[in-house]
Amino acid sequence: MAEKPKVAIYWLTACGGCDEAIVDLNEVILLVADAIDIVLWPVAMDFKYESIRKMKNGDIALAILHGAVRNSEQEEMAKLLREKSQLVLAFGACACFGGTAGMANFRSKEDIFDWVYRDAPTVVNPNNNRPQTVFSVNGNNLTLPEFYDRVYSLREIIDVDYYLPGCPPPPDLIANAVFAVLEGKLPPRGATLAPSKPLCDACSRNQTKPQKIEISEFKRIHEVEAKDDLCFLAQGIICLGPAIRSGCGETCLRTNVPCRGCFGPVDGVDDAGAKFISGLASLIGAENEEDAQKTIDGIDDLAGYCYRFSLPSASLKHKNKEK
Amino acid sequence: MTEFTPKLVCFSCKFGWGYLNTNGYKNQLKNLIPVTCSGTVDTTHIIGAFKEGADGVLILGCPDSECHFQTGNYQARKKIMLLRKVLKEFGIDSGRLKIALSIDPEGAQIPVVIDAMKKEIKNLGPLRLAV
Repeated sequence: MAEKPKVAIYWLTACGGCDEAIVDLNEVILLVADAIDIVLWPVAMDFKYESIRKMKNGDIALAILHGAVRNSEQEEMAKLLREKSQLVLAFGACACFGGTAGMANFRSKEDIFDWVYRDAPTVVNPNNNRPQTVFSVNGNNLTLPEFYDRVYSLREIIDVDYYLPGCPPPPDLIANAVFAVLEGKLPPRGATLAPSKPLCDACSRNQTKPQKIEISEFKRIHEVEAKDDLCFLAQGIICLGPAIRSGCGETCLRTNVPCRGCFGPVDGVDDAGAKFISGLASLIGAENEEDAQKTIDGIDDLAGYCYRFSLPSASLKHKNKEK
Repeated sequence: MTEFTPKLVCFSCKFGWGYLNTNGYKNQLKNLIPVTCSGTVDTTHIIGAFKEGADGVLILGCPDSECHFQTGNYQARKKIMLLRKVLKEFGIDSGRLKIALSIDPEGAQIPVVIDAMKKEIKNLGPLRLAV
């Protein structure tokens, strides 16, 4: 019997939701498990990194990496799995674009450490201890990975062959991706294994969208009782549908929550947030300067809306330090 | 230490601010980009200019109710207002992005408005984006 293809599943800066999504394949996972040999999956099985290090380069057919990269251990593991794998799949919004964790790039490393180890109301840290990469105790060195200055998306660290976005990716696209690898029916390298059209194209509310949208006041989803059959933008609620790739299964929309952007930009666009701003401008009704400014001032955390899942892969990847 | 000379990228609507091919301003001014309408300037163009080293970006469009394409100037203004709000979160001072809606068919005022914005940016200092 021919040897089964080896697959590694690994988490970087991740919440575990992507692992959960793989488990959510339900009975399909049995077919997958029959067809492959899982050599690494920390959340589900016990394997040693050392056994991966001992493998020959290219021994692993597919590495499924989810999560962004924030520290040196994650970089080391991403590079190790890249070296040992024929194909690397960036799995989920964090690996593809930096994800929610990437929003930390709106703060500096110093700001984050100050809050976590000094300023947060629940912190008691009289000696102002901070994590060190090396700490000596009784002559023994204890080490921690280095916390980097910012969050990186996977492609900033290693070459990525395919992308499967989502928070988390939906089961149908996961199964399609895995079987495409097993059957060798993959699109050209660099492709995103999801439809290329924007979410509005798949949204049932598109049918009820008025001819012209003129937003005079923005509202947040928790502040109103949103109609469940009307375009969110027509209700003054920010929905990233026009700028975001479809394929998610519209789970959020069906539960009356607007798109937050976890599927990232459509083909040919790198910065979905910037593109969304261009589109949103045309939906603001006010034509005199004062009214427009008032409407725009009423948007809470516009940058957060635009880059909730994609800050590290945006054109401007992190907060700049003006002097 | 050499004096800081701000690098400014200016997108200028041909209808409101002249075609600039007869009066030689185009040759005098670096990084002046004539566009068909201020509304065609996309946020990615502006962010791209900052990434390529611009210390400031100025957009020149037609005055109120005089856009050749009906509302391109209004769309541009709203776009700039939104983008300024977002750029602030990226640590980019909103003074680095401006829009002026006026009419100047000969483009004679272009060097004047550019100089005025450059003076303001001089006070902000170089942008030094680390991307």
